Amino acid sequence: MKETPDKKPLIELRGIHKRFGTKVVHRGIDLDVYPGEVLALMGGSGCGKSVLLRMIVGLEKPDQGTIKYNGLNIEKLSEERLVPIRKKIAYVFQYGALFDSFSIEENLAYPLREHTDLSEEEIHQKVLATLERLGLQGTENLYPSDLSGGMQRRVGVARSIIMNPEVILYDEPTTGLDPFNTQQILKIMLQLKQQGATSILVTHDMAAIFSVTDRVAFLKEGQILALGTREEIKNSQVKEVSSFIHGESY
Amino acid sequence: MDRTKKILLMSYENGLRAILEFLEFIGGSFNLLYASIIAAFRRPFYFRLLIEQCYILGVKSSSIVFITALSTGMVMSLQFGFGLERFGGKLYVPKVVGLSIMRELGPVLSCLMIAARVGSGIAAELGSMNVTQQIDAIRALGTDPIKRLVIPRVLALLIMTPLLTVFADLVGVFGGMFISNAELFIHPDFYYHEAILSLKTSDFLVGILKTSFFGLLIALTGCYYGMRTEGGTQGVGQATTRSVVTSSLLIVVTDFVLTKLFWIFERK
Repeated sequence: MKETPDKKPLIELRGIHKRFGTKVVHRGIDLDVYPGEVLALMGGSGCGKSVLLRMIVGLEKPDQGTIKYNGLNIEKLSEERLVPIRKKIAYVFQYGALFDSFSIEENLAYPLREHTDLSEEEIHQKVLATLERLGLQGTENLYPSDLSGGMQRRVGVARSIIMNPEVILYDEPTTGLDPFNTQQILKIMLQLKQQGATSILVTHDMAAIFSVTDRVAFLKEGQILALGTREEIKNSQVKEVSSFIHGESY
Repeated sequence: MDRTKKILLMSYENGLRAILEFLEFIGGSFNLLYASIIAAFRRPFYFRLLIEQCYILGVKSSSIVFITALSTGMVMSLQFGFGLERFGGKLYVPKVVGLSIMRELGPVLSCLMIAARVGSGIAAELGSMNVTQQIDAIRALGTDPIKRLVIPRVLALLIMTPLLTVFADLVGVFGGMFISNAELFIHPDFYYHEAILSLKTSDFLVGILKTSFFGLLIALTGCYYGMRTEGGTQGVGQATTRSVVTSSLLIVVTDFVLTKLFWIFERK
């Protein structure tokens, strides 16, 4: 399958191996992610999609292999040296991972207070604008427990994009959401794509995969079984891929 | 015979597992302490979080410390009063109570109560944050969980446990004075003179120095178990229990070691 657009990759994964105890998660994964594209990681539960996503932002370290971001090896960087990378790569957690002792405004203001010199008034205005963009106006003084699961996910997205990251990693952002909240999240993903953000999306949601992604990687047994454009994957003759897409056992 | 073998084998395995877990705890705690010391000298500094933790962990613990110290002082006076009265030594009650509270009971009982309240709170809070990926979120947002979560709690307990112990010492001595007057008919002036003025500065300092160490143990144990919590709500419960049991045992054991060390130092 055709793999490479004619650009230099923004993220390069080479020979990634990872195991937890006796469970082998990755067995030599090679993957390139290009600037401005939306790449979906697809595969059965437990095939290591989320672990791969966590490695890109340094939340997990590979046992073997290299991860490059903009040409810089990041797999061995300390937490302190990962900070500049993490300002550029945002991670949207599956259930939002909002700080439950903070209000929604404080959650969104968190990265701005930590990493910028903006005044409190500027932070407040930026928070309100971001909330409005996600259709969450009026929630700034509420706490995460006051919001529905779908709204919490949208706040999670808002917190991740408030620093205008270059790359956004989505860990199952629409799983378990109602159609309205799913549409809201897909809408913002498309907006970010149009603005040139690079995204990697872990999901089982076929509608999401085929509406927002450019390329899809299918993982099985710790390896990439298929990689191609969404059309190529949709029409894939690989049995496991077509069975997965059509909801059949494989 | 088979059954006996099985039981022996299980006991051996459980014992071995407990030893390995304890060694893992020792190593993990030292790692956490080392990482905290390194991180404590790097920017940014979270003074607001430190003040907040001093209030949550320290000021809010003052009521349980008050009740514990008051009861201890009162019970000590009663027990020693009735016991020493048999030998005509009732007038030694203020000295014995003052010395016991300042050197041992004030620091140890206060810190055991703090371990129960604060140690469990730290483990439960950090454990919940861990299982809901909030600690991962702190890291992913480019901040250090050790700086934001561990250091403010460790420093707050290092500062607040000695202050709470001074408070406990005063309340305990006052409780003893009250009961001595009401039940043993010892005049408060005499009690004050004997219990406070006859104490040496070292008697007071030994207790205070011990509590800083206990505060460090409580905070590190709570943070260690909290930050490595796995397995959802059940994991949070286990982390909380382990934190309280471990820090309480460590307080009791290190109390003996520290008392012996101070004893050697004072004799010189």
